This record gives sequence, structure tokens and C-alpha cells, in this order.
Amino acid sequence: MDVPESPPPNSSTAAAATAAADLVEDPLSNPYSSLNSHCHELSTLQDLACRGSWRTVLDKVARARSLSLLNKPHEHLIYLTFNLLALIKLRRFSDAQLELENLDDDLDSRQYLFESYPQQYPNHHPGSMVPFALRWLQAHLPLTLGNRQLSLDRLYSLLHFIRNKKLKPVSRAIDERDNKGASDDNVSQGIWKKREGLVINTIISYHLSQKEFKVCLDLLRAEIGEKEDPILLSKLGCVQMQYGDLEGAKMSFDAVEKMVAGHETSDVSLKNLVSRNKAMIYLVGKDYVSAVREYEECIERDGSDVVAINNKALCLMYLRDLSDSIKVLESALERIPTMALNETLVVNLCSMYELAYVNHADIKKTLSNWIARVAPDDFDTSCTRI
Amino acid sequence: MSGSGTQQAAHSLAFRVMRLCRPTLHVDTSPLKFDPCDLLFGEDLFDDPVASSHLPRLLDSINVGQSNNNSTDPSDFSYRTRFLLQHPSDSLGLPGLLVLPQSFGAIYLGETFCSYISINNSSNFEVRDVTIKAEIQTERQRILLLDTSKSPVESIRAGGRYDFIVEHDVKELGAHTLVCTALYNDGDSERKYLPQFFKFMVSNPLSVRTKETTFLEACIENHTKSNLYMDQVEFEPAQHWSATMLKAEDHSVEHNLLTREVSKPPVLIRSGGGIHNYLYQLRSSSQVTAQVKVEGSNVLGKLQITWRTNLGEPGRLQTQHILGNPITRKVIELQAVEVPSVIILEKPFLVHLNLINQTERVLGPFEVWLSQSDSLDEKAIMVNGLQTTTLGEVQALGSLKFQLNLIAIKNGIQKISGFTVFDTVEKKTYDSLLELEIYVDSE
Repeated sequence: MDVPESPPPNSSTAAAATAAADLVEDPLSNPYSSLNSHCHELSTLQDLACRGSWRTVLDKVARARSLSLLNKPHEHLIYLTFNLLALIKLRRFSDAQLELENLDDDLDSRQYLFESYPQQYPNHHPGSMVPFALRWLQAHLPLTLGNRQLSLDRLYSLLHFIRNKKLKPVSRAIDERDNKGASDDNVSQGIWKKREGLVINTIISYHLSQKEFKVCLDLLRAEIGEKEDPILLSKLGCVQMQYGDLEGAKMSFDAVEKMVAGHETSDVSLKNLVSRNKAMIYLVGKDYVSAVREYEECIERDGSDVVAINNKALCLMYLRDLSDSIKVLESALERIPTMALNETLVVNLCSMYELAYVNHADIKKTLSNWIARVAPDDFDTSCTRI
Repeated sequence: MSGSGTQQAAHSLAFRVMRLCRPTLHVDTSPLKFDPCDLLFGEDLFDDPVASSHLPRLLDSINVGQSNNNSTDPSDFSYRTRFLLQHPSDSLGLPGLLVLPQSFGAIYLGETFCSYISINNSSNFEVRDVTIKAEIQTERQRILLLDTSKSPVESIRAGGRYDFIVEHDVKELGAHTLVCTALYNDGDSERKYLPQFFKFMVSNPLSVRTKETTFLEACIENHTKSNLYMDQVEFEPAQHWSATMLKAEDHSVEHNLLTREVSKPPVLIRSGGGIHNYLYQLRSSSQVTAQVKVEGSNVLGKLQITWRTNLGEPGRLQTQHILGNPITRKVIELQAVEVPSVIILEKPFLVHLNLINQTERVLGPFEVWLSQSDSLDEKAIMVNGLQTTTLGEVQALGSLKFQLNLIAIKNGIQKISGFTVFDTVEKKTYDSLLELEIYVDSE
């Protein structure tokens, strides 16, 4: 599975012709009319990823490489990114490391710039062809191999890169010929802002999994200070709950409720957010009946609110109703399998089975067989504890 | 998680037990969810005016079906929610899903033990007249948690269950046994007795060490496996005392504009040995203690500690009475009266000392020497001459001046801390009396 690090030698005339068709020679043509015009069979890759068919993604990438179906450097990079992501999703971390070694460590190297290939990309806007996800994956991979500190270092470097090289405090000079200059800038800055958020959130999740709560609080508060986001503020409340600050969590959830009330929209997901927060407060106060009531309201508004369904089942258990808690989870899996099937829900269901049945191996096997037929490739089957 | 127990194979019934402490919020360490434009296109593509005018439309067509989360089309065999970011905060990995306790875990003094107990009939026959009892047995006592003997469960059908939840505030350390027993008529109308035992240990969550003069410093050390959120730590002073908690100026107090409240940073004690100190200033409300010269002890008060862990799981403890010595008075005191201002390496020097008897009785005769530390370092200061100096008696509340001839064999700043005074009559050794710091010149 060799990934050429330099552009392939002079392509044949046919390939050049196809390549030419994709170029921005005619300003009226739209080179981005479809994913496939941008990169070989990209829409298939995207579709496979959405279905969780990661093994098929690996096959497709291997095939494209062995049959030399990819002509352009940027296509190789996109395929490499999908390959890397597939390996990590399938928890094949050492293989992912090997895949990464096909790359030059420095993603800022000139070989990943469009302008380095004037024959392949005449008139192309200069810039990096590296998909941002590749940078993120490169930073995250050491954690999966046991080197958390290296991942943290890389993430902070990535954050630094975004803040110093990409996010601009002053807008760039507007292209006089293109009166859309200002809004283009906004689009690009908006994208980088989102990426900044992704990196910060990843750092927070690292600290959260190690229960380093104070760091999480500081980082979250800084994020929240920048924008009014009820979902983010709710997550802050959850963090506070995790270490036991119930009063702090209540204050955060109350603020969320005020924020949402001011929105004047009938956005179901926000209404459910407020209800689920209320339910958590009832739950920690051991008022499981009220918590169940809140979750039922959520489910009535949105039958695919899996968080409400899962948490309602747990509340039923704390109300000594093991049978109904099992029913709630089983019916969700039956009714909305692709939304309800997640490792956490299965862990809970299996715990309930182990409590309810002396011979729980049989029923867990039935569940496990069903999962094998239905689940995506990246589903972690160890959650059934068989 | 099941419990183990001693049971005969012939029983129709079996107990299944699950500890029901609070659930946990699931944390996903790597949700691996992405925005499509981070995967499908080069990172700088949106700087290109042509691209940034066309791509949003293309991206919208990809995202269609995902933004509408009210659609529950069962034929939508897509796991896009495991791959696409729906909201930026998805990458935090905190979906809000609760998880049942996955293991028994550790139980600490001051917590509440809560358990789901299910008695299953795994036979093919109905069992009748079931009397169920659950109790906790410790070394000292048995505590009854549940007893259905007054109204036995009429029947449990084949394959059926009877469930109950028990709670118990843990107030003792050491081995505990949850004893579940069932007395029932099985399928053959034979009266059977099923006991099952579930053992667990209760450990000490905290240790509290106090140091006190007119200030009380309490150091709380966390011996548990979780971080402890200190909900309340209060000192309840005894009669005649009042206490104020002293805190450093908190410059990090934040005014959270959104919540419009002042939110204080939480006090979290790290698991497995983390410590946090609390400082109280104690004031006596009566004149009595000022005159007490006796080394008697007074009760200063008690520390009430409430902590919380995951999802607010509470625990509480009260310390035993904290005692104070209002006047710390030493029996003898050693003072340095005169130390030469210039001390040269390997040249003997004289140190003038004063031994003070603080008691109201005659003490001595004494022996004085300079003991060396146990460290592997070479001795820096030694007595020049007879290693032990003999001193006579010292009168009650009196003092005795004497000299020690010393020599330094290392230069630089040196500490002399090994002064040891031995009362030859009472056979008592006093050390840690005096620490001298000197500077030794090379020449």
C-alpha cells in the first residue's frame, strides 16, 4: 500500500484531459458540483463512512491504490485520511501508525501545497491540500498507542497553529475584483473557528477522561465566555455533576433554561435539552419518579431521543422496576436500531440481564447475535461482556 | 454483577445482587466525529473564492437528513451520528448518557450502601409462601434491612422474580456481610431455606490530622479511589470556644456573567492520597484558659465533613473530639547566648549556651552532647574534645550557662541541630531543642 509522496510522473494524455476538465479554467463552470468531480468516487467513501462500513472503506482504498485509480496528490491525501480514520475506528491502532508513516511528518511541507504541482493544478488557488481531519488524527493517534502526553503536546501545537497562522484578528485585504471578498473571509474564518473549537474540546475530553476536573472547568468556562451556547453550558453542568458540585450544576442548568426561553423557537432539541437537565437534577435528588416524567416528555416530543430513553430506563431500575427498564431498552433497539444501538445502552442492558436472569448467558447471546447482524463495523462488541 | 453465595444445587430460588450507588455519566474518550469539510477537502479550500461560494451548497446536500433529527425512519440504515458532528460540543464526548455501576467498587465509612436485590425462581415450578430477610452483619452487630415474615410473598411463578432495594448508612469499618435468606415452599411443597452471603469491606475514606496553637490546622487526606468534592467542612467548637475559618484572598473568584452569580472554584481532593488543609482561628470566650498553666487538655471541638463524589453521591463523617494544649510549655529550653561571628574551617570555636529549667522542680544533673543525623552525609560539625559534657543540677525555674567547644570540618552554611540533653536522674532525653545555622569560612 504505497502512497507516492511526490506527484506521479507525467500522466498520460487521457488523464491530463480528465484532469483539465476538473480545473477552474472556465469561471462559469462549477468544479464542486459533486464530490466525485472533486475526488475519485468520494461520494462512495462518504456514504460508506456514514453507514459505518469501515472495513469496506479499507478495501476501497486498497483497491484504488493497487489499481492506481488516483491521479492527483490531493486524492491520495483524502484517501489516506479515510484509511487512517477507518483503521482508528476499527481500533487497529498499530496499523494506523504504519499508515501514518507513509506521510511526511511535517504536514506543512511544500509537497502538500497545491502550488507545488503547477501542471496538475494550473490556476488553482494556493494553499494546503491537507484535510484538517488528518492533522487531528495525527495528533490523536499517540493517545491510542499509550502516549497521552505526546497527543496533548500535538493538540496544543495544533491549537497554536490555528490561532497564530489561521485565525486573523484583522480581516485580510479584500480582493478588489471579487466583491464577495469580505464574506469569503468570514466563511474561511468561521471554518477555522470551528476547528479551534474541535481541538479545544478534544483537549477537554482528554482531561475529562482522567478526571482532571479543574482544567476542564477552566477550559470550558473560557469557551462558554465567548458565545452563548445552551448545549455547551449544559455540558458544563454535567461536568459539575460528575465531581459532585450539585449546586453549581443547578446554577448552570438554570442559566441554560433562561437562555433557551429567550430563543423563542419551538426547537424540539432545545426543549428536550432543558427537560433532560431537569431530569438529572431530580435524579441526583433521588426523585426518580419526576425524572422519569421529564424523560417521557422528551420521548413524546422526539421518539429518537436516545439519551432520554437510556436514562429513563436507569431511573426505572432505581425505582425497583427492572422488568420495565429492560423493556424500554429492548423496544428502543427494535424500533430505532440505528439510533439506539450504542455501546453504553448495550452495557446497561447487559447489566440488567445479569441481574434479572440467573442464566443470563442465553439472552445475552441472542442480543449479541442481533448486534452482529445490525451493528456498524466500528461497534465495540466487548460491551456485551460475553 | 452477581454475588457469590453458599447454596445447594437443589434450590429453585437464587439471589442476584447489584450495588446501586449513583450511576455515572458516560465519558467517550474519542468520539471520532467530524465535520465533512474537514475530511473531504483541503483545509485551505475555503480561502478560494470559487470554492467557498460553491462548497456550502455541496455540503448542505451531504448533510441533509442529518440536521432533521425528528426523522426516525427505521429504514434509514445509517450510522451517521457515529461519524458526523451534529453540534461542535459532540467532540467533548459527554453525550449525557448514564451508565449503571459496573462493579461493586470500594465502600467507605460515612457512605450509604444501597443495593438492588432480586430473588429469581429459575425452576419450572411455582414457589409459595416466601419469607425474605436481608441483614448486614458486622463484627459488632446485625442490622435488619428487610423482613417479609409478617407478610410473606405469596408466590413467585416459574421464571419469575421478586425485587427489592435496601439501603444502609455505613458507620463501621472492616468486614461486612450482606446476608440474604429466603424461607419458601418449593414445587414439592417442601419447606426450604436458602441463605446467601455477599461480603464487602468498609475502609476509612479520610484521615484528619490537626495541629494547633491558637490556630487549628486540619489536614484532610483522601484515601479513596475517587476525587472527593468537599461540600462542607465545618469546625464545631466546644463550649467556651468560637472558631472562624481562615481562607486566603481568592483572586480567582469569577463573576460568571451568564449565571450572574459568583462561582467559587470547587475544593476537590485528588484520589489516592491528595490532601487539603483548612485553617481555623480559635478564640476562647472565657478568661479561664489564660490562667491554666497545667498541661491538661481541653476539648476544642469536632470537625464535620461532608463530601460528594460521582453525581453527588454523599458521604459524611465527624471526627472525634479534637484536643488542645492551650499552653505549650517545654520542660527545658536550650538557648544560644553567644556564637562567634567568624568561624574558620577546621579551627575550634566556642559556643555559649544556656540551659533553662521551666518546671517548678529541680532537674538534673544533665549530660549534653551533639548527636549526628542518620543521613549518609559526613558530619559537618563535631564537638572538639570530650564528646559528652556533664552539667550539674538546675534549680526550679532557673538556668545554667555552659560552653561547647566545636569544630567545623565542612565549609559553607551549616546547620547544627543535634543538641541533645539527657536528664540522668529522670532518664529523659530532650532533642530538637535548638537549631543553629552558621557560616564556615575556608580561610
